[in-house]
Amino acid sequence: MLRFWLERVAQMLLVIFCVATLTFILMRVSPGDPARILLTTHNIPASQEAIDALREEMGLTDSLWSQYIRWLGDVFTWQWGTSYMSKEPVAGELLKRLPATLELASAGALVMLLATCLIGLVTAIFSTGLLDRMGRLMALLGASIPSFWLGFLLIYFFSVRLGWLPSMGRGGLAHLLMPAVTLGLGLGAVYARVLRTNMLEMNNQNFVKASRARGLSKGRILIFQVFKHAFLPILSMLGTSFAFMLGGNVIVETIFSWPGVGKYIIEAITARDYPVIQGYVVFTSFLFVAIHLAVEVFYVRLDPRLRAS
Amino acid sequence: MNYKKKPFSLSFGIMVVCFMLVLAGCSANAASENNAAAANNAATASENANKKLTMAYTWNPAGVDPHGDDSWDVMRSGAGETLIKLNEQLQPAAWLAKEWKQEDANTWTLKLENNVTFHDGKKMDAESVKASLLRSIANSHLAKDLLLVKDIEVLAPDELKIITTQPNSAIISSLADPSTIILDVDSMKEAGSYPAMTGAFKIKQFTKDVSLVVERYDGYWGQPAKLKEVTMKFVTDGNTRLMALQAGEVDVATDIPIDSIELVEKDSKLEVLSAPSVRTHMVLFNMNSALFKEKANREVVDQAIPREAIIESVMRGYGTKAKSPFPEILPFGKVAEQAAGETTEQLLTAGGWQKNAAGMWEKEGKPFEATLLTFPHRPELSVMAEVIQNQLLNEGITVKIRKVENIDAELAKSDWDLAMYSMLTAHTGDPQYFLNIFYQSASESNVSHYVSKPLETVINKLNDTPATEARNALAIQAQDIINEDLPQSFIVHPDNVFGVRKGGNGLCSASDRILLCDS
Repeated sequence: MLRFWLERVAQMLLVIFCVATLTFILMRVSPGDPARILLTTHNIPASQEAIDALREEMGLTDSLWSQYIRWLGDVFTWQWGTSYMSKEPVAGELLKRLPATLELASAGALVMLLATCLIGLVTAIFSTGLLDRMGRLMALLGASIPSFWLGFLLIYFFSVRLGWLPSMGRGGLAHLLMPAVTLGLGLGAVYARVLRTNMLEMNNQNFVKASRARGLSKGRILIFQVFKHAFLPILSMLGTSFAFMLGGNVIVETIFSWPGVGKYIIEAITARDYPVIQGYVVFTSFLFVAIHLAVEVFYVRLDPRLRAS
Repeated sequence: MNYKKKPFSLSFGIMVVCFMLVLAGCSANAASENNAAAANNAATASENANKKLTMAYTWNPAGVDPHGDDSWDVMRSGAGETLIKLNEQLQPAAWLAKEWKQEDANTWTLKLENNVTFHDGKKMDAESVKASLLRSIANSHLAKDLLLVKDIEVLAPDELKIITTQPNSAIISSLADPSTIILDVDSMKEAGSYPAMTGAFKIKQFTKDVSLVVERYDGYWGQPAKLKEVTMKFVTDGNTRLMALQAGEVDVATDIPIDSIELVEKDSKLEVLSAPSVRTHMVLFNMNSALFKEKANREVVDQAIPREAIIESVMRGYGTKAKSPFPEILPFGKVAEQAAGETTEQLLTAGGWQKNAAGMWEKEGKPFEATLLTFPHRPELSVMAEVIQNQLLNEGITVKIRKVENIDAELAKSDWDLAMYSMLTAHTGDPQYFLNIFYQSASESNVSHYVSKPLETVINKLNDTPATEARNALAIQAQDIINEDLPQSFIVHPDNVFGVRKGGNGLCSASDRILLCDS
């Protein structure tokens, strides 16, 4: 067990090192001068002296090598540098926004999970009827409707026309509902289709036939045997999607003015705030590795065959 | 309440001030002009006393320190004030400084208002103003560039002397820039504290990415604000701002996207308020490009730009035709329109171009083909680029549009001929800063790579001239040279467009500003 954890930690450190290096290189080759962008935020031209002074202040006049060493030091001391925009440590800036993103990602994942299970179960049970066709249509729409369009559509109906829900911002459950649905519904509808297919395949497996022969109830077979086995492959997909959501959903957070990591990062990209962008990429790579590890552990607990291997 | 739907005429500079006036329900000077009217509306005023206003605001400031990158946002909140403000003619007027005098080329004295207190209750005096100005110069590159301060001396508790490193005739206008907002420096020593400034509102709460809440400051030195509280919600997406307005969640939405204005106009509960700005949308010519080194070729493009049609169709009427970098609302913006010159045919034929069988211009077998850069942050510029492309195609010239993410980074390269661009040209109500930064040959912000000795001579003369009339004349002379040489084609000065809810919020448009309707 110790070896398992040591291997995973070593893998994580290696991934973070590679990501940190790659991000640093990509940032430096991408066009745009952060000093100029920051000084001309309000479209007022800046003097050359001001631009030069700010470049120096930002450390952009140092050699690339010393900038890289400083960056690596920041990564492994968990500081991630100082934001050009706010002049505050990047780690703190990301952590401040993490609760909002965590809240939205959890709610979005819940919507995704509920949609997957409900639509998947219903369409598997009624696999040749109208409900199945509706499920197929929902999956098609879920895969093809862009989230910004769905978001605006929801705002238009539920905020502008009906006045039931607030159109933007973070607050109580009412504020959370539309962003969570925008985030989770489309993916849920798509995964429901995968779940349905898996369940129909499981239906013909010998262990299910044996259970039927033993006289187990239909409901018991459906939930504890067919659904349980069909859901396993979905789990890793849900885990990956959850990691994406935790990384901050730029579009949903911008549309709903949700003060999370995604909205923050898009502003940092526009302003070429290198430390924030680099810090964010390291942060999300860490999240991905951690969530994959969690899914792996969970998977092993659910599937006894993997435990033995 | 009496609402007027007529758009009002006002510059961006005044718009910024008005933003504060909106929040303050008129500051001291404006209020004193309206005393009689205000007295007649005492009942309505008391009704407003407990009113709160919520605004969907375009920008997302990283903080509330006015001596940094967020000074404009603090100014717009009504919490900050500067020594000087710009009046309706965009000329310097008294604010925290009640009078000023130029002693010699490099020395200015300013007399301060006596009864001003900061939001922390401390009295504002010459020492605190000096400390504030020194802090703004230390923290803000813009303040440093604008003021060119060598030293500040306190002459009396209400009198300051400012000595500049070189003659700086624009210093009084520059003291109206938000980066010079006056604050109690001691209030910034504690981490996380809000700056104590002198405005009619004081900061109640700032939540990153969410909102800035300001409340009426009862110790205000002028007439107290009529609104009790104002919340500026930071909503960077234009459509979200519009929908929040339509849903009734906010009373005001700033910078309504041009293509959505019709929705506001058609909504019986909403109205559009607009004001001319000192922003200029333009086409840059790359003076180093083989094509546009030739003035005749620049003239051809300039003539092909259908300015009126662009204002009508792309800007939906919310803009004014640009004849120079500065709009006509400025005293130095009234330049003569260039007389129509030779036709495209005459200009290009004289330059050795001839039309091929397909009706396209070519020279020595090479077609007249230009690359036009545009960028997504101002969507209307991309639409204008397409209009210009189409117009030039009709003239027999091919334009390839290249959309770039970062326009300034692309302009620093040499592989472009034309570029859509947009700039605030007179944010302090003075031409000096923009002309120096945008047209001096040594400046990196001279993105057209335009070099003109006569123009630089005029700009240098402007830098040394203190008298306003003479400065305005020099600014006009500079623009005449620019229009003659055509390093840029100026298209439109877009309006600032707000959407507001009718009734309830107490806002309406008057002939020259946005006001609380009873004031």
